[in-house]
Amino acid sequence: MAKKLMKGCEAIGEAAIHAGCRLFFGYPITPQNEIPEYMSARLPQVGGMFVQAESEVAASNMLYGASGAGCRVFTSSSSPGISLMMEGVSYMAGAELPVVIVNIMRGGPGLGGILPSQSDYFQATKGGGHGDYRVLVLAPSTVQEAADLVIDAFDLADKYRNPVMVVGDGLIGQMMEPVEFKKTIKPEELAEKPWATTGCAGRERNVINSLYLDPEQLEKHNWDLYAKYQSMAAEVRHEDYNTEGGCDVLIVAYGTVARIAKTAIDQAREKGLKIGLFRPITLYPYPAEALAKAALGAKAVLVAELSTGQMVEDVRAIVAGRRPVAFHGRVGGMVMGPDDLVAEAEKLVAVPA
Amino acid sequence: MPKPIIEVDRCKGCELCINACPEDVLAMSSEINAKGYFYPSVVHPDDCTGCRYCLLVCPDTAIQIENKGKVTTPPEALTGKTFSYCPGCTHGVIHRLVAETIDSLGIRDRTVGIAPVGCSVLAYEFFNCDMQEASHGRAMAVATGIKRGRPDLMVFTYQGDGDLASIGMAETIHAANRGEKITVIFVNNAIYGMTGGQMAPTTMPGQVATTCPTGRDVNLAGWPIRVVELLKTLRTPAYLARVAVHDPKNILNAKKAIRKAFKYQLDGTCFSLVEVLSTCPTNWGYQPHESCEWVEENMVPYYPLGEVKVPEEVPVQVGS
Amino acid sequence: MYSEIVLAGFGGQGVLLIGKLMAYAGMKAGHEVTWLPSYGPEMRGGTCNCTVVLSDKPIGSPISKRPHALIVLNLPSLDKFEDTVRPGGIIVVNTSLINRLPRRTDVTVVPVPANEIALELGNARAANMVALGAFIAASGLVDRANVGEVLKESFAARPKLVAINEEALRRGFEIGQAHTTAVAAG
Repeated sequence: MAKKLMKGCEAIGEAAIHAGCRLFFGYPITPQNEIPEYMSARLPQVGGMFVQAESEVAASNMLYGASGAGCRVFTSSSSPGISLMMEGVSYMAGAELPVVIVNIMRGGPGLGGILPSQSDYFQATKGGGHGDYRVLVLAPSTVQEAADLVIDAFDLADKYRNPVMVVGDGLIGQMMEPVEFKKTIKPEELAEKPWATTGCAGRERNVINSLYLDPEQLEKHNWDLYAKYQSMAAEVRHEDYNTEGGCDVLIVAYGTVARIAKTAIDQAREKGLKIGLFRPITLYPYPAEALAKAALGAKAVLVAELSTGQMVEDVRAIVAGRRPVAFHGRVGGMVMGPDDLVAEAEKLVAVPA
Repeated sequence: MPKPIIEVDRCKGCELCINACPEDVLAMSSEINAKGYFYPSVVHPDDCTGCRYCLLVCPDTAIQIENKGKVTTPPEALTGKTFSYCPGCTHGVIHRLVAETIDSLGIRDRTVGIAPVGCSVLAYEFFNCDMQEASHGRAMAVATGIKRGRPDLMVFTYQGDGDLASIGMAETIHAANRGEKITVIFVNNAIYGMTGGQMAPTTMPGQVATTCPTGRDVNLAGWPIRVVELLKTLRTPAYLARVAVHDPKNILNAKKAIRKAFKYQLDGTCFSLVEVLSTCPTNWGYQPHESCEWVEENMVPYYPLGEVKVPEEVPVQVGS
Repeated sequence: MYSEIVLAGFGGQGVLLIGKLMAYAGMKAGHEVTWLPSYGPEMRGGTCNCTVVLSDKPIGSPISKRPHALIVLNLPSLDKFEDTVRPGGIIVVNTSLINRLPRRTDVTVVPVPANEIALELGNARAANMVALGAFIAASGLVDRANVGEVLKESFAARPKLVAINEEALRRGFEIGQAHTTAVAAG
């Protein structure tokens, strides 16, 4: 298939269609409006259904219903809207329902702003809503990768019967890059979901539910979920960049910031400073082993995020004091430049660890 | 002799004043102002009758009238900051009417306004009284909290159609049903403006929006919600009215209804809500004056104007 | 080849469109490309800009704080971005709406009366295409034939506009040829 120049948001929508998804429920919020707009135009062309819900709370519960009925379904929103969806997400985690949720993150808290941010890392990777649960979190850094990961997200959601969240920021959503769709799944090719409420003709009835009044049963359910989340470790993905043979400073960054780091690496090379990049692609499960290995190959670690420091907590836990871990963050929609990262890295090598 | 005074650098060049003037006193100048817009200038000052139509329709409070040595002034209940609305958007007219009402009732120092999420998210920058910014759809819940805690305050919310009739519908119905003694200004422009023109619960059948690119299909999206008629079904007493601001006559009627709505709150009578049909030239894709015509031709027939419900049990005195 | 280009003007002048055409033409030529718009709440008449990066290898940051080239269609954009352009770079200035030339002496300046030419051709809205033509001639970064092709594709729904935009592109190109320079840099 020939490459097309597409906006990240549009590529995400088209990828969902390529994944065999024919259902979208959502509510407008900047900076991801191009996703519902794209779906409202595209889904009817492929026999699908687009519904603009009255709110994100309602949208998340529409997802619950559709997923419980065995449909591939997805939504997209941005930070304040994702917070509203947390009701449905918690219930879907509890009822073990597959769903794909895209969060084009913007600055917060509260209404915050509409410019790029990575300030929902905690919300995404530590559960987000109430109860003891996790969702699989994927963080693309290019439009192509956003398309690839959205397609994979549907398969992962079905595989683990669990919500999967794809987190990007306004840059990924608004940017245009060449993209191709590497596979096309037809809805009729998707495996049956024997647990779904599709009508009980010829079988025992199915119930989709997250209520467990018996504490022993709920405890067992919680530990079963825990075991499932542990098993997701098989899905860890990351990218090593310029780390062969070790490096002076290892930048740890995801999404847009990782791209800026790559430009910083080129700039630093001209100055004789070797910077490597460790880019987690799955934020939950976190590629901990690979990070530990990469960090030990560097003199110091620099975590760069569009937040006041969220992923850095996980990185510090993984590096566990074996290397100094510094942090550089910009927030509010402000984005660091490559030269800022080079300057931070230079500071780290100037000061003996 | 009366004459309009144009505050050039407030103007966004919407030309609504030129259309409104019955005597062709105004014409667009060929100069641009500091914002980069062409602005109107007074070309036939002798023809001005002082009717104030230009002042009434100006969405940017850029026009005052001088008459017999006196000059009108913008309401004290506005901060004077330039509105963030697009050229020709009638949000600015509604802001001015609310502010004039607050001034005329002398309640500015004990009024709290609630700004919504939507184009008027920055209303807290424009109303010169205490303000709170609510999350999307929750303005009436926030207002309830304020009014229940401080019944002495005058509390109003200013909300758009997505905020009030979509995500905030539960709050709307329940605040009305509890009979909260608050005043709600509901701006219905049949579209989501700030997010870039998506379908609203009040989008007209067949109207194109970015999430109904082939026009609103009532079989999929339902019919546009008539909010005041819906709320009328509640047993709880309320003042419910629908007005419009697309021409001077309607603007004057709108002002009366807004004043009544505040007065009912002032007297502790009932919940009050005024739905104001408004324009969105940017997302509708029309010129400002065409947008006003669109309101008259398309919205008014579906959203009839007038008082839909008045609290019968307790008659209320409305001054002036 | 690696080049960051910032395009800026009023909303409605079509800077996002010519940025897209440039990126699309770059993609056709086999380059890596990114196109990144500034985005904000809806408001007509505000300033807007976009950044295009053209490269032979995968592109890191799609943001440019030090572009190699700048195309400005209005004065606020020149005021805002003039100082960011790298020495040796290029600035295309729409002299129809900008009443001063860049103060920079270490860049190639390409003055283009874009609106006047577009008006001459009968459609003021083609001014953006005049500026684009001047830029591609002066910079040599994108192939004119590719731009012509993507122009046709992007106006497929409004074929009437193709001819005038092609002509605007050509007129701009002629002006740009007088300022041929190399902006592709490290």
